Amino acid sequence: MSFKLRPEKIMVFVEANEESITAAQYAVCLARWLECELYAVYVVDIKTLQDLLKAKIFVEMEEMDYERDLEEDGERYLNHVRDLAEAKGVTIHTELCKGDVVAEMLRNVEQTDADLLVMGKLEEPESRRDFYYNDGERIFRRTPCPAIIVKEDEPVRMMYEQL
Amino acid sequence: MKLSHLLTPSLIKVGIENNSKEQIIQELINIVAEEGLVTDADQAFMDVMARELQQSTGLEAGIAVPHGKSISVSDLVGALAISKEGIDFASLDGQPSHLFFLLIAPPTMSGPHVRALANIAKFSQNSRYRNMLTEAATPEEAFQIIKQAETEDV
Repeated sequence: MSFKLRPEKIMVFVEANEESITAAQYAVCLARWLECELYAVYVVDIKTLQDLLKAKIFVEMEEMDYERDLEEDGERYLNHVRDLAEAKGVTIHTELCKGDVVAEMLRNVEQTDADLLVMGKLEEPESRRDFYYNDGERIFRRTPCPAIIVKEDEPVRMMYEQL
Repeated sequence: MKLSHLLTPSLIKVGIENNSKEQIIQELINIVAEEGLVTDADQAFMDVMARELQQSTGLEAGIAVPHGKSISVSDLVGALAISKEGIDFASLDGQPSHLFFLLIAPPTMSGPHVRALANIAKFSQNSRYRNMLTEAATPEEAFQIIKQAETEDV
């Protein structure tokens, strides 16, 4: 992360869930207030698909089928986030990547030189194991830039609507 | 999705009455159907069997994971059947299968389906919990073993 007098690039981690949409709404608000560009990234979890193929739980055709499904999910969510940003006049760049979710997100943060990472609410950890295996937890801990977890959906939705 | 979030004791059956692949899958589907989780049990059976015909989901180490996508469910559903004695499920290692995890997802819910399968794969690598689950005497005990396996520190 390079030194800047004020944030210029905000990145939002998009997954196929409602928490990501709340995070995106908050990120749009931040981008507008701080006059930043917004970057939305979705990672198709190819690593898990490949692990399932290796474990022989998936057959090859099935793996390809699921990969296509996850890719379509990603495109749908990124398009929605794009619409949210454009509706408020925020410049947005979207990126659909494939690979290990944590590694790809961290690569994007570094490559983009993002100044802030915005993420949706994390799952409630039930054990120390969750801290090690949950993708969101790992991204939050390892990202080189400041990170924000967006928790409440209704106030954020109202904030976005009022923007 | 964690197995303990997907299963409840009422979705676990200890002791299997049948011994053919088709009958076991039917028995698993009956479990979710009795809980009102499928709208069309016949459709669910056909969808799971269609996947099974591509390649047996009888894996190694006594685990079988019959699964599939089906319009007969509106959410990801699962069931577990346990056979202490073991049943031939055309497994990859030729050994009898003891733990039968059924997963059925709606066609539009691939993400949670993939994560649940990955959690079963992770569970199946732990021989201690695998053996404990095979020996479980009741659905409640089986459920507690799954929860314990998921919360064990690394």
